[in-house]
Amino acid sequence: MSNITILDNLSSSIQRFNKKDAVVYSNEALGAGIDPLIAINEGLVKGMNIVGEKFKAHKVYLPQVLVAASALYAGLDVLLPHIPQSELENSKKAVVAVVHGDVHDIGKNILKTLLTAGGFLVTDLGKDVPKDTIVDKVAETNADVLCLSTLMTTTMEGIGNVVGGISEANYRENLTITIGGPPTSEEYAKIIGADHRDNNAQDAVEWLKSRNFDRRDNDRDLNDRANFRAVA
Amino acid sequence: MVSELSHRERALASLNDEKVDRLSTYPIACGVCRRLVGDGKMTYREWANDPVKFASAFKAGQDRFGLDFSIGLMDLSVMAGDLGANVRMDEQNTPFVDVHLQNTAENYENLEVPDITKGRTATLIAGTELLAKQLKDQVVTSAFVEGPLLALTQTFGAENVMMDLFTDPAPIHKALETLTEYDRQIVDGLSHTGVDAICWDYLWGNYSCLGDEEYGEFEGDRYAPLLNKYTVDSGMANTVHSCADLPHLDKQIKEFKPSLFSLAYYPLIEGSPSPKETIEAGYADECLIAGVIDPQMFIKNTAEEVTVATRDLCHEVKTALCERGLNSRYTIATGCEVPPTQTCRLENIDAMVEAVRTYGGIEY
Repeated sequence: MSNITILDNLSSSIQRFNKKDAVVYSNEALGAGIDPLIAINEGLVKGMNIVGEKFKAHKVYLPQVLVAASALYAGLDVLLPHIPQSELENSKKAVVAVVHGDVHDIGKNILKTLLTAGGFLVTDLGKDVPKDTIVDKVAETNADVLCLSTLMTTTMEGIGNVVGGISEANYRENLTITIGGPPTSEEYAKIIGADHRDNNAQDAVEWLKSRNFDRRDNDRDLNDRANFRAVA
Repeated sequence: MVSELSHRERALASLNDEKVDRLSTYPIACGVCRRLVGDGKMTYREWANDPVKFASAFKAGQDRFGLDFSIGLMDLSVMAGDLGANVRMDEQNTPFVDVHLQNTAENYENLEVPDITKGRTATLIAGTELLAKQLKDQVVTSAFVEGPLLALTQTFGAENVMMDLFTDPAPIHKALETLTEYDRQIVDGLSHTGVDAICWDYLWGNYSCLGDEEYGEFEGDRYAPLLNKYTVDSGMANTVHSCADLPHLDKQIKEFKPSLFSLAYYPLIEGSPSPKETIEAGYADECLIAGVIDPQMFIKNTAEEVTVATRDLCHEVKTALCERGLNSRYTIATGCEVPPTQTCRLENIDAMVEAVRTYGGIEY
């Protein structure tokens, strides 16, 4: 089987939401001597991006996206251990969380998947996360990006509280904050001092990828990087 | 000009698209009304576990605000809790499931209908009965019940269920059959309470989550129609609430044929129908539409801003109804529950209702 065929099969496994095949073809890629970064970029991520576009266009729906994400992570589990740690050092770091009081995390999980596919090193704090936990993790990981979401109107204030906590900790200047969830709005993002708000994960990741992260790397385009790692 | 109607007369007239003195209104003010009872210190936990306290809040809300409907929403973890999931009860926050049941095929298949004379299901039914007794002569009353797919995702976790229904649907269907029977028993319980209607929360019927095929298979074609019919056969009106973006309006309005459909509006989301578009598309021909004041306004905005938003909605709705040849098939409501938090501004609810009185009048 040619390398191109293996990469196509990897991409196809994600598009077919097939976790088993994602593992099989990830192992085949390694066996064929394909650079694991290329296998991720040209195989898994290519497939996930297509699924993400279809989701945005309402051509596939939540069940398929979640299963595709599961397949993506299964493939990453095979390929990532074969990437030298030094090659991950330039990855931009993102922290994602659903704020305190809210346990609805599907949107956050999709964002995490697409961020990972977009080359970010993601720390997922989960759901119902207290403000201080988020602030501490942003500082600890030296994060470039913080993504906050909530589904409920009743917990939306928690996003503002976290942004306030980030400012109090003097970490706001070096951090890009994007928010999401049905009750949020661009107006709300402005009010609380977040940088951005988006309707869906795909657009949020595209927006982040278009950003220049001046702190470390003015000239680097995130689209050109190929470093992947999800930290659950 | 129609002479002044009572709240119940106005609500009933709106349901039947008859001429009214003004548009009907119902901000979905449920848990927040506990703050109007006694010294105002009732916790959410107390309210959601005691039928007398539960009903007393709706009575107090009606006394203060003067609404046209009363809908007995408790929270969306009642069924999941009685099925064995762990419900976290904060003092002043809506209860929610924090530990789901494990999503194994065996657990789906072995799910059992709990005893509805116990647990919070019993509290909900008893509280609804008290609500109906206290308010039936004043307003149109409705119970609020989770549909089977919502109850399933609340019990086992939405992400788990969404993946499992794609990868291994048979156990999911078995669980949904059990939950439909659970819902059917709740309908039985409510049929003796004197409540006018059941409002079903069929949340997952929305295009942000499920397509026509998936929603049809896992609720829209197989389970919801049974419950819709059973509700009506049991002597209650069938109504539907969905605060999701992009709801399956053709399925949930044109096929389910509810008496009322309550929805939210997300102007930033492409395809979310505005009130005008909802009416123009013919959905108010089918049933009373309820919406769409943004619930955030009850926390973030001033009473004056709520007044302006409500005034504008009244004008938009009245114009669209007139152009459609309809009389009253839109109730000025909130797209989702008024936040039950301590920070919710009760004066904003006053402002919304007063604005409907001021700007909702209709001359035919």
